[in-house]
Amino acid sequence: MTSDRGKKHYFYLFLYLSISFFTHLYSVIPSAQAAEKTVRVGIYENAPKVFTSESGKPSGIFIDIIESIAKDEGWRLQYVPGTWGEGLDRLIKGEIDLMPDVVHTSDRENIYSFHKVPVLTSWFQVYARKGSGIKSILDLHGKRITVLERSVQQEAFTRLAESFELKSIIIPLPDYQTIFERIVNGEADAAITNRFHGLVHAKKYGLEDTAIIFYPSELYFAAPKGANKNLLIAIDRHLTILKKNPQSIYYDSLKRWTSEDIQFKLPAWTKTIGMITGIILLTSLAVSIFLKHQVKKRIREINEMNEMLRASEKKYRELVMSANSIILRWTRDGRITFLNEFGQRFFGYTEKEILGRHVVGTIVPETESTGRDLRPLMEDILADPKKIERNINENMRRNGELVWIEWTNKIVLDEQNQIKEIMSIGLDITDRKHAEEEIHSLHNDLQRHAENLEKRVQERTAELAVAKEKAESADRLKSAFLATMSHELRTPLNSIIGFTGIMIKELAGPLNQEQHKQLGMVQNSSRHLLALINDVLDISKIEAGQLDLFLSSFELRQSIEAMTSLVSPLAEKKGLDLKVEIANDVERVTTDQRRLEQIILNLLNNAVKFTETGYVAVSCERGNGEYILSVTDTGIGIGEEEIPKLFHPFHQVDTGLARKHEGTGLGLSICRKLINIMSGSIDVRSQMGQGSTFTIRLPIEKGGSV
Amino acid sequence: MKNTLLIIEDNQQNFYMMQFLLEKNGFNIIGAENGRDGIAKALLHRPQAILLDIQLPEMDGYAVAAELKKHSELNEVPIIAVTSYAMMGDRDRIIAAGATGYIEKPINPDTFVSQIKEYLPKKSY
Repeated sequence: MTSDRGKKHYFYLFLYLSISFFTHLYSVIPSAQAAEKTVRVGIYENAPKVFTSESGKPSGIFIDIIESIAKDEGWRLQYVPGTWGEGLDRLIKGEIDLMPDVVHTSDRENIYSFHKVPVLTSWFQVYARKGSGIKSILDLHGKRITVLERSVQQEAFTRLAESFELKSIIIPLPDYQTIFERIVNGEADAAITNRFHGLVHAKKYGLEDTAIIFYPSELYFAAPKGANKNLLIAIDRHLTILKKNPQSIYYDSLKRWTSEDIQFKLPAWTKTIGMITGIILLTSLAVSIFLKHQVKKRIREINEMNEMLRASEKKYRELVMSANSIILRWTRDGRITFLNEFGQRFFGYTEKEILGRHVVGTIVPETESTGRDLRPLMEDILADPKKIERNINENMRRNGELVWIEWTNKIVLDEQNQIKEIMSIGLDITDRKHAEEEIHSLHNDLQRHAENLEKRVQERTAELAVAKEKAESADRLKSAFLATMSHELRTPLNSIIGFTGIMIKELAGPLNQEQHKQLGMVQNSSRHLLALINDVLDISKIEAGQLDLFLSSFELRQSIEAMTSLVSPLAEKKGLDLKVEIANDVERVTTDQRRLEQIILNLLNNAVKFTETGYVAVSCERGNGEYILSVTDTGIGIGEEEIPKLFHPFHQVDTGLARKHEGTGLGLSICRKLINIMSGSIDVRSQMGQGSTFTIRLPIEKGGSV
Repeated sequence: MKNTLLIIEDNQQNFYMMQFLLEKNGFNIIGAENGRDGIAKALLHRPQAILLDIQLPEMDGYAVAAELKKHSELNEVPIIAVTSYAMMGDRDRIIAAGATGYIEKPINPDTFVSQIKEYLPKKSY
């Protein structure tokens, strides 16, 4: 230790001598810029950066540097001493050209001009009495803290304390000396200074540095706003060069002033032996190199520390101040006591504008756009914040824009465990809310569409019911129409046929031969017309599904014989043999008698009609649950290709014979439809020129589906 | 009234035809154009038989037959329905309504009178 101290002493002596030497050297060599300029520099007491030495000479790192620059630039420096505050005021008024040791802040940028290369990098540190127990920022709660008035430290610490919710008593003082003295004499608990000051002076006052360091800052010379541009440019130029060279006055000065034992006055005898010891000192050059190495190492450490501090400070800012959440504190009477930077930006108020104002009317509208009155909600939260830990309500920006925020409310208790404040952390959920509204509206649309659809289905169903009703009534109308037609068409025919018959029988008087012949033609035609009408009505009824069967049980033999007897006059006239062969077991049948007789008669009529020679035979026998009835003739027969068309309406074989053989062409088609309705069947076998056989199969019981 | 027949028929030509054929055979004919008139004349003249058309305006043949049957003094008077072939399905209905007999239209001049006589009490003829 002793030898180290000895070395240091030598070193400082050497430094001193070197500086003096160079000072003298510079004074003899004229500056490149000979035109001398007076530069007024403010000084205040902030050793070792800037201060007045015991001999009354301005000293310190800033002074060393500015003097070095001044010499080079040919400036004549004029020092204007004062407190820090006075210095700043003078700078504003333009009474000084440069103020050293000014931290660059955006606020200051507005009122001062700065050069760009920082002179020093510093940070603020809290100092306290040895054994004070102050270790972290939280330990400063309720403590009296001295700080340089109007300094960046004061502002920075005030903010820091607020964000940690510290209630510290800040005592602003005009100079650093007093700051430490107050602690020594017990008027304060801790002091905030820059690290340079603390480094040099703390021990002297019996104070120790605490681990509380904050606000890394860069120190500059400041000039009045917009003035002395050339000075600032010159300072930057020199600083760049000085900082590059480890042997420059910059590093010499740093080392000189930041050591613990600064000797402002050298003993008188040293001057007399200075020259001699100088030689000895040269021998300690190696020591000097070693120390320079130490200085570099220390600077590196300082830089690293600065970097870490910057990072942690940035982190802190991001977390608390610039968190992407609104952090709001408000008192029980609804007054806002804190709103973080994000919240300020979000709502559009500055801190000054919003603090102390009521939440309702500023960031909380009285009523939401939904119509909800928010005043009771605020009162509810105030009355029992625990109850409403989370709430979503509409909020209002300064520009009137409405936003939705999800709030988490927490109680802040005071020493008496009473609710002091409510801390609300808010998230802007406007987008989410709008998305929800969109979904809600889409859902409503969908529901409305579904309801519409259902309504339309009901309407359509009703329409269909009406249509069905219409169709059914149309069916009834058709039935009525057919019945009416049947009557209306037949009635005039009745008189034609009736009176023709009366006249032919000469009941109304005698007729000549020609009249008799012509009336016979009228009678034939009208009978044909009647048959046609009957057939058309039959087929219409069948096709409309309106032909009703009237079932009864009767002797099939009698029906066959009756129908045969009806055609026998015509067969006799044509000279045809009419045979009837009915098996003994042919008895009763249950079906529509009139319709069955109509079919049998139709087949017999056809057979007689289309047979010129030979015979017509009717046969009937019992099969398995059915009667098989056949009508066979020896007539003209039916061509193979005609058979499939035979049962189609209005089809008559050989149109050449149409004139010769009267008929509607509907007979067989009606026969087949009728027999099908009666659950029977009809088919035909035939050979051209040989004759035909029509066979009906008819169920014995219940010949029909009715 | 002996040899007197009541024809309830709205079609004049049909009425004339039946009247012509029946008068040629010695019957007296009373005509009515609708059901109400027919019922009134039946009660007034007590005819030997009533020839009843089914398709009538206002009151149809079924209703007329049913109404006539309500009068016991007409119990012995046969009601003969004269109607169209297409109305065949209604044969049972008209018999059930009270008609004694049934003749299809168009009537056959050759057989009409004899068909009517079939329904008249033999001894009265």
